[in-house]
Amino acid sequence: MKLIRKGAEGDLFLTTWNGKEAILKSRKKKDYRNSSLDYRLRKQRTIRESQIMAEVKEFGIRTPLIHFIDIKNCDIIMQKIDGVLVGDLSKTKLVNSCKKIGKLVGIMHKNGIAHGDLTTSNFIESCNNIFIIDFGLANRTLKSDDHAVDLRLFKEILNSAHADVFKKAWSNFLSGYKSSVGKERFSKITNKVMIIESRGRYAKVV
Amino acid sequence: MKCIGIESTAHTFSCAVLERKGKSGKILSDVRKIYGPPDGEGIHPREASRHHVENSTIALVEALQKANVSVTDLDIISYAAGPGLGPCLRVGAVVSRALASYYEIPIFPVNHALGHIELGKMLTGAKNPLVLLVSGGHTMLLAFLNKKWRVFGETLDITLGQLLDQFGRSIGFASPCGKKIEELAEKKSNYIPLPYSVQGNDVSFSGLLSATKDVAKQGVNDACYSLQETAFAMICEATERALAFTKKKELMIVGGVAANKRLSAMLQSICKRQKCKFFVVPQKFAGDCGSQIAWQGLLEASVKKGAKLEDTFVKQSWRLDTVEITY
Repeated sequence: MKLIRKGAEGDLFLTTWNGKEAILKSRKKKDYRNSSLDYRLRKQRTIRESQIMAEVKEFGIRTPLIHFIDIKNCDIIMQKIDGVLVGDLSKTKLVNSCKKIGKLVGIMHKNGIAHGDLTTSNFIESCNNIFIIDFGLANRTLKSDDHAVDLRLFKEILNSAHADVFKKAWSNFLSGYKSSVGKERFSKITNKVMIIESRGRYAKVV
Repeated sequence: MKCIGIESTAHTFSCAVLERKGKSGKILSDVRKIYGPPDGEGIHPREASRHHVENSTIALVEALQKANVSVTDLDIISYAAGPGLGPCLRVGAVVSRALASYYEIPIFPVNHALGHIELGKMLTGAKNPLVLLVSGGHTMLLAFLNKKWRVFGETLDITLGQLLDQFGRSIGFASPCGKKIEELAEKKSNYIPLPYSVQGNDVSFSGLLSATKDVAKQGVNDACYSLQETAFAMICEATERALAFTKKKELMIVGGVAANKRLSAMLQSICKRQKCKFFVVPQKFAGDCGSQIAWQGLLEASVKKGAKLEDTFVKQSWRLDTVEITY
């Protein structure tokens, strides 16, 4: 099996499933962590990721298809998506896809799912469609606070890794998000984002 | 070029003299006077600033003597203008302004957190690292991009230093409590499950703090051990995520909590996994010190002139990611 990416949480291997190419995501044991804490986290996230990845399909979010789960070893075998990570796209394309991303995030939130790790490397663009991956930190929640934390993280990532296109990308994201959740919910969540930001260390108090 | 750096953001009043030759710096002296609050209590800003006032001349004279320089040998003065506790910051600013105006030496107000990073880079030789800044005032993951240090992850509420201190104080330790907690945690005990909260690259410690206070009733050693394990695992996970995301080949840890050996060991293991170099600031310069302020002043002096006296304010809330870097 070929290692294709060493993520923070798990290692991704290229494998086959029923004769087709597939991805094995393996959450390896981390020696530096206390072992009981380590297993608790790995197991919980493997289960949650596979469940929520299947669940979001119901309301039209594209995610890789799950083939097989091994809870003991914390392995998931899933469909391989051919495409480019949104974070690796050209600047113009990245800015454009933020609108789609905003829309998708809005749909998930409306259906009570917070992704928990919205970075530009957790979206794959494939044939003009956007697939969402990495649901290890996802949560079933309708709380506006949790949704706002999602948005804040995406904003932080845009403002750091993609600082040169931050303004455009973020406003695109917001307009996409607004189109999914509606005006009222939108202003509630963006307001919460501001509150969370002002809680940050040494933040300008608004 | 010689610079005296004056640090007074929180509990430490420190003066240090540094000399810069080309890209390298030499620490000629670093004198610290640390305010210690009574056991079980935190820093009282008024008391701390009183301590700083009382110790400022002693520290200043000692720093100059140890470095074997006189005030007139100094090319520039720098002081920590923020972020920190207002009353404390003002002491350092007043001392610097007095020196600058009386001896007509250029004065540089610098960002305290930036000083941590730049001194770390100077001492460890890291070139383009992802920085984990963990102290009483900060818990941040930073990387340099387009003239600014960008925040890739941070705490959403209290910092790692506050978490350790507030927990320590609740069971009657003297602040700062990191060292004591580390010692007790080493007496290897069982792990008690505690809340673990990582949101992407961000962490949140407030729930962990409350839960640990409860757990402490069952046994202090176990609580210390579990607290460290949980909090550090959270920090490590956020760090590993940021490393994988930014694809940086270096990790540097700076700030007061960088002195903790367990945390360094855990981060080292991450670096091995992610195949990157690991740098940790020498223990002596992990905490707040005048050297970081002096070195930052020297760096800024290479690209700009000293500030006007009327612009030498203190800024209690001065976020690191708002500072533009041109040197």
